[in-house]
Amino acid sequence: MEQPNELIISMQKGDERAFSKLYTMYSEAIYGIIYSIVLDEAIAEEVLQDAFIKIWNNSNSYDITKGRFFTWILNIARNTAIDKTRSKSYKNSKKNLSTTNFVDILQSGDNLNKATNAIGVRKFVEKLKPTCIKIIELLFFKGFTQKDAAENLEMPLGTLKTRNRNCLKDLRLVVLGPQQI
Amino acid sequence: MTEVEIIESGKLELYVCGALPESEALELQQSIASSMALQKEVEIIEASYISLAENVAPPLSAVVWTYILDAIGKVKSIDSGTSSSTNWAAITGWAAAIAAICGLFWMLNQNNELERDVQITTTENTELQETLTDAEERQLLTEGILADIRSDNFKTVPLPANPAVAPEAFAKAYYNSDDNIAYIDAAKLPPAPKGKVYQVWALKMQPLTPNSMGLLEDLTALKPGLYKFENFPEAEGFGITLEPEGGSESPTLTQLYVLGTVAPSAP
Repeated sequence: MEQPNELIISMQKGDERAFSKLYTMYSEAIYGIIYSIVLDEAIAEEVLQDAFIKIWNNSNSYDITKGRFFTWILNIARNTAIDKTRSKSYKNSKKNLSTTNFVDILQSGDNLNKATNAIGVRKFVEKLKPTCIKIIELLFFKGFTQKDAAENLEMPLGTLKTRNRNCLKDLRLVVLGPQQI
Repeated sequence: MTEVEIIESGKLELYVCGALPESEALELQQSIASSMALQKEVEIIEASYISLAENVAPPLSAVVWTYILDAIGKVKSIDSGTSSSTNWAAITGWAAAIAAICGLFWMLNQNNELERDVQITTTENTELQETLTDAEERQLLTEGILADIRSDNFKTVPLPANPAVAPEAFAKAYYNSDDNIAYIDAAKLPPAPKGKVYQVWALKMQPLTPNSMGLLEDLTALKPGLYKFENFPEAEGFGITLEPEGGSESPTLTQLYVLGTVAPSAP
């Protein structure tokens, strides 16, 4: 998907309609990331709300020439969610949920009627090896740096990168069709 | 590194995840910016991740967007506070203008009222002045009459009542025979009945000849009850009769109220 730079620039100028369109484009994915961290729908909605308010308020700190917009909002969302999990109220209500990963969520949830490529993604996830699940979980959903992820998984940095790429290959097929490998 | 090497290294996936160190990410960004193939690859990786994350997300309530819009709207409303203060300035300006106009009308009204008051006072002043002049004239007249009556040229002629007609009546004449001027004091005559008028006669005795001097009416009145007559034949006595309105050629003797003779002058 080509990055909607015009919408981003309009939002940076205070255009609420542009912000609304960007929310429509990215909110569900960001919500998925947040939910995979906080594991509670009500809290995840609250964090999503906070994250998008931060995106609006700090929109001018994003620079199109220095990275992907999705990467920028992904960082804001993960940081907001992680901050939430560190709060006392959250710690008191949620215990021993750290073992749940995105695959558990995807397989337990009823998401066939909403997201695009739902069947394909479900099939992709079902075939994922445990190592791939861990790599994707840490790098994408939890926001680990490559160094931290490599240490956590006890594998060399180069191996982590190539294995991550291989783990995602089938997902590319699902999203873009068989001609895009 | 070539485009293919970069793609195969798996760095682009980590770039999209935000897992690369900042320096490495910036370096990679430059390569991506100058390569359509790398850009395309980044877009595919990003779309894949987005698709995966979307499938992990539970159903999202539409209320969330409403809350966000409300929250950023509050921020906006702080900004728009400036414009609302401008509105307040405008409102204050209009209010001041309206107040000034009201004030102007009030002052005009006050001015009109004051002018009216001045006019009324001027009118009252004129009236008072006229009354004063009138009073002064009356005083002068009274003083003149008094001076006349007191002078030696005037003789006082009492005109006693004709007991048969009006026993209560009484009058006086002050007569200047040199100039033929007479003042008649008729204050003690009863009021003339409606349709009747008192007529004054100058009497010559030998033979008895009555000559009309005039009527006791407003025309001859100097002040209530005092009348002045001039240009009548020389008189040796005076009589007052009650006559029909307009007066008579000759006196009605049955209605003779008072009668008196002029005392002969002292030698």
